[in-house]
Amino acid sequence: MKRGTRNILRVSIIVTVAVLIGITLWFNLTSDNKTVAVGDEAVDFQLTTMEGEQIRLSELTDEGKGVILNFWGTWCKPCREEMPDMNDIYTADDNDEYEIVAVNVAENEQQIKQFISGLESDLEFPIALDKTRDVTEAYSIGPLPTTIAVNQEGTVVKKQEYQLTHEDILAFIENATE
Amino acid sequence: MELKEIKCGSCGHVNPPGTQLCQSCGKMINSDYDKKKIKDLMRYDGSAVRSKVRSKSIFDKIWIFFTSIKVGVSIILAIAVAAAIGTIFPQEYFIPIGVDPADYYQENYGTLGYLYYTLGFHNLYSSWWFVLLNGMLALSIIAASIDRGIPLFKSLKNQRVKKHESFFRRQRLFKHDENTENAEKIIGQLKKKRYKVRQDGNNYLLEKGRLSRWGPYINHVGLIILLTGSMLRFFPGMYVDEIVYLNEGETKDLPTTNGQYYVKNDGFTLDTYDEKSKEVFDQALNQGNNIVSNFQTDITVYENESSEVVGAKPDLTEIDNYSIRVNHPYRFDSYELYQSSYDDSQMKAMTFRLEDAEGNTVGENFTVNLDDPEQSYQINENTEIKMRAYAPDFLEIADNGTLVSETPVPRNPAFVFEVNNDGESELSLLQIMNSTDITSGNDYSIRFVEAEQHMASVLTLKKDLTVPLVAGGFVIFLLGVFIGAYINHRRIWISLEDGFTLAGHTNKNYFGMKKELDQILEANSLTPVSDKFEIEDKAKDKE
Repeated sequence: MKRGTRNILRVSIIVTVAVLIGITLWFNLTSDNKTVAVGDEAVDFQLTTMEGEQIRLSELTDEGKGVILNFWGTWCKPCREEMPDMNDIYTADDNDEYEIVAVNVAENEQQIKQFISGLESDLEFPIALDKTRDVTEAYSIGPLPTTIAVNQEGTVVKKQEYQLTHEDILAFIENATE
Repeated sequence: MELKEIKCGSCGHVNPPGTQLCQSCGKMINSDYDKKKIKDLMRYDGSAVRSKVRSKSIFDKIWIFFTSIKVGVSIILAIAVAAAIGTIFPQEYFIPIGVDPADYYQENYGTLGYLYYTLGFHNLYSSWWFVLLNGMLALSIIAASIDRGIPLFKSLKNQRVKKHESFFRRQRLFKHDENTENAEKIIGQLKKKRYKVRQDGNNYLLEKGRLSRWGPYINHVGLIILLTGSMLRFFPGMYVDEIVYLNEGETKDLPTTNGQYYVKNDGFTLDTYDEKSKEVFDQALNQGNNIVSNFQTDITVYENESSEVVGAKPDLTEIDNYSIRVNHPYRFDSYELYQSSYDDSQMKAMTFRLEDAEGNTVGENFTVNLDDPEQSYQINENTEIKMRAYAPDFLEIADNGTLVSETPVPRNPAFVFEVNNDGESELSLLQIMNSTDITSGNDYSIRFVEAEQHMASVLTLKKDLTVPLVAGGFVIFLLGVFIGAYINHRRIWISLEDGFTLAGHTNKNYFGMKKELDQILEANSLTPVSDKFEIEDKAKDKE
């Protein structure tokens, strides 16, 4: 074998093996944590609300609205505590530019109604029912509450995995409507 | 070291640098070559081992590093040791589902467990360094095979029939006789032993079983295919191993099918052997009670016709029905759905009855579906029980009077029931363990009758497109081992130029070759071959 051929053979084999190891490790490391991160494209979904209406993410963003997705459960204390705050802010302005969608994770309607009836005022924003956890899984939601801001281009712009303060909610709205 | 091409002093053949024995005539070029060792002195027939010749670019350095036997063996050892350590504590897929592995290993195995988890031994086969080790092994195998295989191929292909007289003397099996008259007969008889004969004037080369030399390389090809298979497992869509948890009556989409397939659990059956019927397994049955004879999940399989949007109601078309039993998985596409286990620990419903002050049951019993409870229960014509509040996992009563649940799982259900009887109403809080009157002077009390559990079947969804590669790799690997171990590469050189001179070489089993040769020599009234080894052994014994 000529030296040229030999060099090409050596380099190509080493590079091929290295690239394959790299690809394998990349697949390996990315398969575990597919969590939604800021900058990702938000997964489009369609859910039924408590009122029995269909709500679809892409329809909201197509209307030019930013969307704040709040994944919650009635049994989760921080979720219960941030709900009235969100409702106050939502009802205080005309919210033309954004929508809050409270995605309930796999609870029955009795539990949700019971929770709402215990609040001082009704929740004005839509509560979407993710009974099968399809959306929760598509967004790889870990702890509750998790709040995700999606801008009108359908891109995730902010994410928080703990209770929102009043300021946090305003920051989310600002991010979603920028 | 000066690297120059070497011209053979005997035949004039120009050999590559580093050559020990002339590629053409077999005369020793480096006279120190066989002083150190007799064994295996023909391994590469004196050609230069490629990697030992030049070292230049970074790629050459990497290449040479991986061609080293020491490096190869170290990698194999590292893999073996890691795999052994990986069996000390259970792998992650054997620990209980839903437990955080970080806590699990720390709690159960202490500091060692923590280390085990941190270093990735809990998921050995997909830890980054194990993948890297396997990749390095692949490179080592490929580099070493090319580096040794190509010179070997060349030296076997370019064999010259005529060898220098000193070559004969250096071989382990050697025979010289002045009498050449039986030579033709001997060669003819060796031919019958399936030796291929090449002739060059008065020189003969008889060879058989050359395939044996390729055994290790075939073996390596098998290993590379096997490693490729195990690598492809990490590629999306090649390998799936998922748990599907299905309550009776529940329909769920199968993971990794992108919502294309849905499966409904039509019913789970658990049969046990009848202890009274005297069956074959009598003895085993006597030792423990309730030995399971069958786990079975009846399923309906659906295909989703409109699956683009996550969360949207699927448009399902029934495509199949099947009863999954142990070892009888449901197969579809390239997937298999196995019966794995079952779970009856989740509460499904609770039944209550209403009791008046005298302890008599009023009306009919009523059952609360814990997953989706009704708001009210009419137990007879004038008594209605309203469920005012329900907490699946009761924690406390909140300030506003609602029940607070710790989790959404019905582990410790608590209810506030309102009994309405002829316009009067009273409230009571009911937990599984105790009940408290909320309104004072209650006439009625609600009693717990029974609880019903969910019967959930746990199925495993499997898909493995790498099986043909892994199995094929193994077969080729074993074929290589067989070829290398059971076929002998035997070569016999015969020269009739100065009497009858014979030399024999084999890559293994000199005993067998000697027997083969001596039989033929004896039949032609010649004495047996001399064996350098035996001579040396005897010499050693004398010392």
